[in-house]
Amino acid sequence: MSRWVERAALPVGVVATIATLAVVFYYPVGSVFAQAVLDAGRPTTGPLVAILSDPFYTGVAHHLFVDPLGIPAGVFEWITSGFPSVALGRFGFTAYQAALSTIASVVLGLPGAYVLARYDFWGRRTLKSLTIVPFVLPSIMVAVGFLAMFGRTGLLNDLLGMVGLGPIELVFTLKIIVLAHAFYNAPLVTRLVTTAWESVDRRQVESARAMGASPLAAFRDVVLPAILPSLLTAALLTFVFTFMSFPIVLALGGLEHATVEVWIYARVQSLDLGEAATLATLETVISLALMYLYLRYEARQRSTAGAGQSLPRKSLTVGWRTLRSPVRLAIAGYGIVAAIVFVGPLLSLLIESVTAPDGSLTTAYYEFLLAQQASSAVGTTRPLPAIVNSLVYGAGTLVLAVPMGIVVAIVATRGGRGSRLAEALLTAPLAVSGIIVGLGLLQTMVFGTVLFGYRLTAAGPIAIIFAHAAAAYPFVTRNVAPALGGLDSRYRDAARSLGATRLRALLEIELPLIAAAVLAGAAFAFAISVGEFDSTVLLAEGVDGYTMPVALERYVGNRSLGPNLGPATAMGTVLLAITSLSFVAIDRLGGRWEP
Amino acid sequence: MTGVELTDVSVTFDGVPAIESVSLSIAEGEFFTLVGPSGCGKTTTLRTVAGFETPDAGVVEISGRDVAGVPPEDRNVGVVFQNYALFPHMSVRENVAYGLRYRDPPGDVSDEERVTNLLELVDMAGMGDRDPEELSGGQQQRIALARALAPGPEVLLLDEPLSALDAQLRERLRVVIRDLQQELGITTIYVTHDQAEALAISDRVAVMHGGRVEQIGPPEDIYREPATRFVAEFIGDNNLLEGTVVSTNPPKVRLSAADSHQETIIPVDSLPAASEHVTLSIRPEDVRLGDESAPITLSATVETVEFLGDTYRVHCRWNGQSLLVTYAGDSAPAETVTLGIDPEDVAVVGGKKP
Repeated sequence: MSRWVERAALPVGVVATIATLAVVFYYPVGSVFAQAVLDAGRPTTGPLVAILSDPFYTGVAHHLFVDPLGIPAGVFEWITSGFPSVALGRFGFTAYQAALSTIASVVLGLPGAYVLARYDFWGRRTLKSLTIVPFVLPSIMVAVGFLAMFGRTGLLNDLLGMVGLGPIELVFTLKIIVLAHAFYNAPLVTRLVTTAWESVDRRQVESARAMGASPLAAFRDVVLPAILPSLLTAALLTFVFTFMSFPIVLALGGLEHATVEVWIYARVQSLDLGEAATLATLETVISLALMYLYLRYEARQRSTAGAGQSLPRKSLTVGWRTLRSPVRLAIAGYGIVAAIVFVGPLLSLLIESVTAPDGSLTTAYYEFLLAQQASSAVGTTRPLPAIVNSLVYGAGTLVLAVPMGIVVAIVATRGGRGSRLAEALLTAPLAVSGIIVGLGLLQTMVFGTVLFGYRLTAAGPIAIIFAHAAAAYPFVTRNVAPALGGLDSRYRDAARSLGATRLRALLEIELPLIAAAVLAGAAFAFAISVGEFDSTVLLAEGVDGYTMPVALERYVGNRSLGPNLGPATAMGTVLLAITSLSFVAIDRLGGRWEP
Repeated sequence: MTGVELTDVSVTFDGVPAIESVSLSIAEGEFFTLVGPSGCGKTTTLRTVAGFETPDAGVVEISGRDVAGVPPEDRNVGVVFQNYALFPHMSVRENVAYGLRYRDPPGDVSDEERVTNLLELVDMAGMGDRDPEELSGGQQQRIALARALAPGPEVLLLDEPLSALDAQLRERLRVVIRDLQQELGITTIYVTHDQAEALAISDRVAVMHGGRVEQIGPPEDIYREPATRFVAEFIGDNNLLEGTVVSTNPPKVRLSAADSHQETIIPVDSLPAASEHVTLSIRPEDVRLGDESAPITLSATVETVEFLGDTYRVHCRWNGQSLLVTYAGDSAPAETVTLGIDPEDVAVVGGKKP
């Protein structure tokens, strides 16, 4: 009997995962799309055409949809208007800022890959593993960090003021959006390119040199072809991510620099759900197409990974001679820039949370948080519930996302058609923005769905956990699948030949052997949940289920202590502390779980 | 009674056949070896018996019971894997005891005692608390064997169990495996690519090639009477000579491109039906260097001589064909030699229809 149950467990797990995804992701998102293309059950192109032919959204490209036969005239107009003044529309602007952000990320990330791959220095490994961190930092917190650093009363202007310069105005400009996007995505470029660079077999370079190639020629002929695909992969991913970016643009750009994503949010806020759904559909079509390109491209280059000896690393510091080495001086310069971009905002967040506008130390902002907590006024955003909610949602996300992620990882590593399906299942949530998932959940779960004559509704908190699980499980799979795939399948075969069912082999042999990867996946899922803003901000609307990031965003707009960021930086610091603490906690727990 | 029986078993991977209509009948208590080059389907055959691969066609029976649809954990087979697959997060003792969580072997012995006995059996007593990684390759091999035997399987399956070890240890351990198998009397299927190993320890051998079984028989038959050209070439050193059929009753073959002044008509046991040209094989040790009185003598030139210690390996050339000869003389042979052949030592390994 129990063996029968064990044998059914995995297939049931697969079905349950698919069912959960259908409920928390595919059905809600599908309902959003349906709204855009269906009118009382009949297919319609009306809303789509309305958006596409509106110059506000598509800029000069709207001619394509308004009057396709008049394209020559449209092009003529486009040329006569002059390129810089070309009206981009929301879609054009979104693509434009994504392109700029991609360029900035590559420019900032590539030298880092060079340093990490080719130089040896104290803390190199730590630095390499730290490149994963920005990815899981709550984006609204990073946005507040950037405000704290580059804002009118931020750290940078404070410092400039001391030497009689400034102030410079960066907030609500494209520059700061691009810079914040680089903060997120340059480490991605660094990590992917470093890995590719380290997998270049030194014997290939040495063969090229032995056959008469100069160092530069060997780089061009051997190293460059090896790292270019990963650079393109990273660039493509960066473009997708920044195309869909939300909290950064919302907090740093405002509606003036609204991307499609921010505009969808604005439409939802003004309860124009129809137009929001249509915009969401168009955005998703674009991001899915980009994601498809990415997957096609990534699949083609996977086979190039080889086991060889990587290139030898040079020492970064060579005593006093370091100062006479132009390359090393340039690296030092890069290090300073990187420190400003990556450490600056987080440091500014901490400093600004205890600094009054005149530069003196203050605890006023934390007192404000305590006052908020004590306040009995309706609609007050209290810090403690936000913290508790975040932790509860994080735990709920773990309960859902870890088993789901493991099940998808098992299917993905089994090979064959199931594995490709799993890859598609896995990647879809990455290509659908949190706003759209949130909107879908709002419409289907929170407002309710009629099924067999019953109206089924789920409370906001449940919907939030669902949304977080949909966003987080791919990270569990991303961690577990490579570890599971890399594990010798004979361990599993050995266990089964000794009498263990598939489930027992998984629980007793495979998962303990890849415990580190499972824990890393869990830590990611937790961090994603704690930092999730896009869908939470929609689902927590009017509910007391707000989280730390949502509270943070509300404090950014709170001017009760004058025009400064104080309360937001204080809340941001709390968020930073709890994010870090939960990481440490999981790490410690993990240490004990290991056999 | 049969231990394991395969009837017309075929397995395909993504439409590519891995084994095609393989039929084997392995007696209870027999030591049966599957041998062949990599990719011949021997491991797939073994994994099909273990239940890790599902046949597209055919029947697999263990102890007379059809095991179609029976998952690996319910087949009561013990498997030793190529790299042992000892669980690195468990001690040696825990590894050996793992199968006892799920199976209760016959006998009145407690689990703990059984593990201790098995560790003694494989000469690893006192090593129970070690981690597998602390052990040498040979020791890990013994533990893997003990682990596979612990639940008292009906059939023992060994997949290239010695291939990760160095030559000397391989020869020592294959004797250990054979002795253990004899002691326990357990039906055993052994997979190896090493033909010498296969001949040394098996009751019977199946030579596989391209997903099919080429020949099944005791090691002596496989060696002395290879059924196909592939078996003749794969098992041991061999000389293959092309010949033309000169008479079918009694069956006689003339070595092709023969000198007119040399007697090269060879009487053979039997001929493949309706063949005009045939391939003959003769072992290097059956070619007697310097034997002028043999029924068939060939005059050949010596090209290369290798000294192997107990014998010389002499590469000769006769009529544009190279012939490998084992020579047990005291010193290297001269440049021109006479090679003596007894027709009894010649096997017909394949025919070509006219």
